[in-house]
Amino acid sequence: MKCPIEKLSINKRLALFALVLGIIALFIGNTSSYKINVNAKELALSTVRNQDKISVIQLAEWIIEGKADYVLVDLRDEKSFNEYSIPNAINIKLENILDSGLMRNEKIILFGLDDITSAQAWFILKSANYKYVYILKGGINEWKEKILFPRLVENASQKEKEEFEKIKQISFYFGGIPQVVSGASSSEIYKIQSPTVPKVSPPPAGSIKSIPKKKREGC
Amino acid sequence: MMPYYKFDYFSFDFSLVVAFIIGIAFGFALERGGFGNARILAAQFYFYNMRVLKVMFTAIVTAMIGLFYFSWFGWLDLSLVYVSDTYLIPQILGGLILGIGFVIGGYCPGTSIVSASTGRYDGMVYLAGMFFGVFVFGEMFPLIENFYNSSHLGKVTLPKFLGLSHGMVVFLVVLMALGAFALAEWGEKVMTKKLQGDKQ
Repeated sequence: MKCPIEKLSINKRLALFALVLGIIALFIGNTSSYKINVNAKELALSTVRNQDKISVIQLAEWIIEGKADYVLVDLRDEKSFNEYSIPNAINIKLENILDSGLMRNEKIILFGLDDITSAQAWFILKSANYKYVYILKGGINEWKEKILFPRLVENASQKEKEEFEKIKQISFYFGGIPQVVSGASSSEIYKIQSPTVPKVSPPPAGSIKSIPKKKREGC
Repeated sequence: MMPYYKFDYFSFDFSLVVAFIIGIAFGFALERGGFGNARILAAQFYFYNMRVLKVMFTAIVTAMIGLFYFSWFGWLDLSLVYVSDTYLIPQILGGLILGIGFVIGGYCPGTSIVSASTGRYDGMVYLAGMFFGVFVFGEMFPLIENFYNSSHLGKVTLPKFLGLSHGMVVFLVVLMALGAFALAEWGEKVMTKKLQGDKQ
């Protein structure tokens, strides 16, 4: 006896095939996105080698040089972001990080108040196959401490003084207030100064392109 | 894992080469499907020839089933497949304008390029008209910008809008397509008979 399918034209067979796949789909329901595949070894190695951290001074130099091959992501809440953030940062909350339109082939630099949130975000992005994700070491706290309000104790060594001169220039660029303080009162002065966070004038136009807008796709 | 470009399997420059190859294949498929011919395309709107409906639904069902199963197998991250935002009223109006142009000219933008590249004069004229339209739109844009961005609903997909699972939507669309195929075949038979009747 001939199989009934053999009697059908090729169009009808294809239609039947589509119907079968449609019925199976009914039972599958939702296909999960965000499948996490973690190469734990690779993650551990890049952490141990410290390849995934960027210092605030490094970042400051990049901003001054006008490098724009990265996206700077501020993970703090909107209020803190509006109060003060590092120039050209965009504000993305940790829970939205996968839906924020960041591209997997972009260089992404993460920062929060300190390293904890950025480490969490770093792990989420890495496990979702984002290639170039970095943590700004020390977060915004270290940025304030080292770039905006760098301090030099009076009895500093020659080498520290030289270092401070360099940082002073960087600090002025970002509207910071470098101070020379005597060891004892340093923390007090810092406390007085830090609430008046400078309004940062955006870096000279043209030198840094703004965060690239999401490309329009589709037809 | 797909989409390859977003997972950085190749660079932006190479993506243009890929787009070029896919574009050629798309054009070829349109031409072979008979979409380089304005008579066939326009016939759809008068219901003599349901080829457009059949080809379009075949394409939709094939792509939909492919994407669904690829995602299920874990080959594709559906959340990274681009879905354009919905601007309800501007898109309804735009669709109407495109539809009117389609009936009058016998082409849509893609098929006019296919037609022009196979040497049809009407396709070339259509293409010129399209570029003129693009130019006029560009010049007018400041005036209509507010309307263009109005009634923004974000990314709307059928599963989200209807509150159904992806699988259910796949099933329903397959049913709809098969129903449309059957109806189209039947309609064509009726129309052919009627046309033959008119000739006699």
